[in-house]
Parts: sequence; structure tokens; C-alpha cells
Amino acid sequence: MSANVTETELVTTLSPAAPRRPKRKRRVGATIIAIVFSLIWVFPVYWMVITAFKQRSDVMTPTPQFIPLNPTLQNFVSAVTQTSFLVNLRNSIIVVGLALVFAMLIALFASAALSRFRFKGRRTIMVLILAVQMLPGTALLIPQFLIFNELNLLNKYIGLILAYVAAVLPFSIWSLRGFFVTIPVEVEEAAKVDGAGTWTILWKILFPLVVPGLISTSIFGFISAWNEYILAYTFMKDTAMYTLPIWLVSFQIPGQPPDFAGQMAASVLFALPVVIFFLIIQRHLVSGMSAGAVKG
Amino acid sequence: MSTSTAAIVAGEGVAAAPAGRRPRPPRRSSTQGSRLAPLWLLSPAGIVLLALIVAPIIFLIYTSFTDYNQRTLFTGEYNAVGFDQYVKILTDPQFWQSTVLTLFFTAALVLGSLVIGVGVSNLMTKLGTVMRYIVTIVLIFAWGMPNVASAQVWNWLFQPGYGVINWIITQLRVFGNQTDLSWWNSTPLALINIWMLVVWQAVPFIALTTYAAQTQVDGSLIEAARIDGAGEWRIYFSVVLNYLKPTILLITILSIIWDFNVFNQIWLTTQGGPDNGTATLGIFGYLTAFNQFRVGTGAAIAVVTTFMLMIISGFYIRSLLRSGEDL
Repeated sequence: MSANVTETELVTTLSPAAPRRPKRKRRVGATIIAIVFSLIWVFPVYWMVITAFKQRSDVMTPTPQFIPLNPTLQNFVSAVTQTSFLVNLRNSIIVVGLALVFAMLIALFASAALSRFRFKGRRTIMVLILAVQMLPGTALLIPQFLIFNELNLLNKYIGLILAYVAAVLPFSIWSLRGFFVTIPVEVEEAAKVDGAGTWTILWKILFPLVVPGLISTSIFGFISAWNEYILAYTFMKDTAMYTLPIWLVSFQIPGQPPDFAGQMAASVLFALPVVIFFLIIQRHLVSGMSAGAVKG
Repeated sequence: MSTSTAAIVAGEGVAAAPAGRRPRPPRRSSTQGSRLAPLWLLSPAGIVLLALIVAPIIFLIYTSFTDYNQRTLFTGEYNAVGFDQYVKILTDPQFWQSTVLTLFFTAALVLGSLVIGVGVSNLMTKLGTVMRYIVTIVLIFAWGMPNVASAQVWNWLFQPGYGVINWIITQLRVFGNQTDLSWWNSTPLALINIWMLVVWQAVPFIALTTYAAQTQVDGSLIEAARIDGAGEWRIYFSVVLNYLKPTILLITILSIIWDFNVFNQIWLTTQGGPDNGTATLGIFGYLTAFNQFRVGTGAAIAVVTTFMLMIISGFYIRSLLRSGEDL
């Protein structure tokens, strides 16, 4: 921003005749547009949050309440205690957790091979992994459903875990490979001179160095598996096996008419961990992808 | 979402790779173990990908040549029917309607999110630190919302009767009393509604990526253009956008792939209705396979859809390879 200011000043002194609106005026215009944009863009999130804190009777009013007059935590309490929330939360944690552990371990090995070794067919493998990532959802969903049905894996943790490993693995390999590639070869060569074998180098030197990459890749994997809906919806038939996204979509407090306050409280509960993760890795998200995008 | 984060990470890998710093094969001390190491390291991933992605895709293609249906799920019986399923879908007006809808809707989504996203990026360069920070946080909130949750929020925002959007529209006093307007009973309104939902969540990625690239624009180029007497708009279109071209190209290709695959946002608001009016190819294939249990037909639809998408993503992979990335 400061560079921008000096630049404008410089230009003004160089060519005072050039017709230009004053800087301040332009900044005010931009700020007004930005405020309007921010209000519109944040509104759905704002509306979700305040609805979640409203009394049931304050939700469906002819004139909407833009600020909750009698805020309450009751919707959150009912969402957690009167539905199968805890069971479904446990399912989500088991499925997403195990899928991530498997996927990350396998991806760690594969990406080490694809970055620290040269061999025939490596490029082909990388392109195939990238291509797999772009398959439309139903193309994998239909055959996986049929095969798992045949193998009796539907409505069980293991079926969904396998499907999530398959969904998360390709991009995890690509992502981790990016971290491996940045480790200088010299580190490896020094260890080799000291007589370390391939496995020692991998476990003692390379793997510890990619831990930051492993963490950020896991967060991305977590977000996509945590949010996944249609596979879980198709595979899991019992309420007791639902994961949280299905719980959210079919949210209803037993014996009560559908209420939006409860639904919004459920949405907040579900979205919260993801939004927090996004805020944490925000800087990382933008800097990483911009560099990639510019080059691509 | 899954693909969106994936590409970010892939992009990061691209950026992180320093040219010429490649592990060279160990020539002298090459023991049996280290030569076989990549094989051992790759085999778990290979087995998983073969079993859970390659084999299912082959099975999908196989299924599309059979009359697999509801009965088959219980008895396991099915017959090979050759190209019947393909003939059936290619002569089905609903399939063509879905194809046209998917293509146009994808175009509308890509165009809308790109124009707004790139616009917001440019807006951000003109803001003070505080306001820019606020816009960034707002964008991250919209981006981070799981689309399952945002679809629920949309259903509530646009709910006929008590939805706040209908109330606001009524207060404008331009369209009359629209309190009970039902957004999901007419195809155009439903499409507009889903368009807003998808664009709302697509803009943050585009805006933040473009903004990050835009901060790298060489100030002296803009200065030079200004000295030459170019106006603000002229500078933006000739200098800035030209610099951003590679970034925007990449975002466009990624957006096409993601928007072509939009599923949850449609499924959780309209389920493809009214009267299949919002059934894009993904929804149409899912409905055919899992609601009508015409699995063979659904498989054929999925194969054709994959084929279309492969043609599109081929461009992405080609441009990635052409950028000189050493895979």
C-alpha cells in the first residue's frame, strides 16, 4: 500500500496535467464497495449464527429479528442431547481418523518414492494420480457401491474408510511430494557418506523433515473427509452408522416439528471445526496456492 | 471441496520444486535394497489405488454394458446387453436436457465466480489494511463453510414464508409481496438460487488467489502506463490483467472441473427438481442408479460424463505439463 502512495505522488508531480481523481476519493469509493460486499458475503454465516441463538418462538416471525432479542443456548443443548449427535460424531471421528491415518502413511511412502528416486514410469504415475483426482463423484460412487455391496462392506465403518482413503490419497501424494522435493539432496548424500542405508535415511532424516507438510496435508484431508456427504449417505443406511454430514442434513429433534433454530445450531456445530481450520491455515493457503497458480 | 483443496496443494508442490535440485540416482553404492526401494514404497499406494479406483472404474464400464438393476442387487443376476444402455441414454431427451443444462450451468457458474472473484481481488488492492483484512476474513468464512452446512443455511435463507431473503425482496417494494415465493418450484428460480450458493463459496478461492498474484505485479509497469497517459481502467485491462493471465487461466480450468462436478449444493436444495429441471449429469446419473435402481443405465451416464470431463481436464494436465514442470 505504501508503495502505491509514493507511486501516485511521483506521477502527480511528473504529470500534473493528467486528469485524475484524488487518491482519497478513490479509496473512499473502494471502501464503500468493500463494505457492501462484505455485508452481503458474510450475511449467510451471520444469519446461521444468530438463528442458532434465537428462541424457537423468535425464529419464524413475520418481520425477521436481525439481532436476537432473547439469546439462548437451548438450541445447541437440544441438538447435542436430544439427537444422535454423539453417536454420529463418534462415527465421523472413527471413519475420518482411520481413513486419514491410512492415507497419510501410504501417501508418505509413495511420495518419498516419487520424489527421492528416479525410475521409469514415474512421470506417468504422477499424471495418472492427477487424472484420477478429476473423476466425477458418481463415476466412483456407483461401482464402489456395487463392489462393497457384494463384499458386505456397506453400512460398516470399513467400507466408508476405504472409500475415503481412495478419495484422499491422490492429492495427499501430490501434496507431500511437493514437500519432499524441497529437501536438498545434500542432506541425503551426507547421510549416505556416513553409511546410512535407504531405510535409515527415510525414517531418520527425510520423514522428520516433512512433518510440517504431513500436518498441512492432513488438515486438507480432514476437511474433505469431514465434509463428505454423498458417499456416506449412499453407504450408511442405519441412523446409528450415520456420520455428521448426514446427521446435519436429516436433522430433526424427535417429536418436534422441524425447526430452523435447531438446524442452524447443528450447522454451527458441524461447520465450526472446519472454519477454525481454515482460519488457522489461512496464510498458508493463500501464499502456497498463489505461487503455484502464477507458475502454472 | 475435496478437489479444491487438492489443487491448492498440488499447486504448492509445483511452486516448491526448485529447478535442477533433483535427487540423482546413487551410482556406485547401489545395493539391491535401494534399487528396489521405490517399488516397496509405492506398492501400498499402488494396491490401494488399483483396488479402490482402477478396478471400480473398470467395473463401472463393465456394468454399463449390462442390465444391472434392483433385482441384481439381491439375486446377483444380470445380462450383457451390449450397447443398449448407451443407445437408451443417447436417445433419451432427459439425458440431452441434462447435458445442455450441465454445460450452460457450468459456464454460468465459472463466468459469475470469475468476474466477481477477479473484481474483488482488484478491489482489495485499493483498500487500506484494516478493510482488506476484514474482506479476507469474510472470504475465508464463506470459503470454509462445509457445503452441506451452507446448503442448510440456503434452505433457511430462502424459505417460503419466513425466509429472510423473501422478506428483504418484499421490503424493496419493487416486486410486490414475495413473502411466500417458493424458490424451488420453478426451474429458473431454483437455478438462480443454486448459482448464488455455488458462486458464494467459489469466489473466495478465486479472489484470494488472484489477489496474491496481483500483489506481485511490477509497480513500474503501472507507473510507465500512467506516465503514458493511460486511465485507471486502461491500466487494469492492459497491464494488470495481462500479468494475471496465467493465474486466471489456471483458475478457469479448475473452476470448470469443479463446477461441472457440483453435486451437494444441488442435491441438498432441490434433489434435481422441479421435474428434473436442475438435474445436471451428476444428479441425473445418481437418480437413475440409486433412486430408480437402473444401475446399468446410471453407469452408462457416469461413463459418458467422465468422458466429457476427461476431455476438459485434459487441457489442465496438458497446460501443467507444458509449463515445464519436472514431474
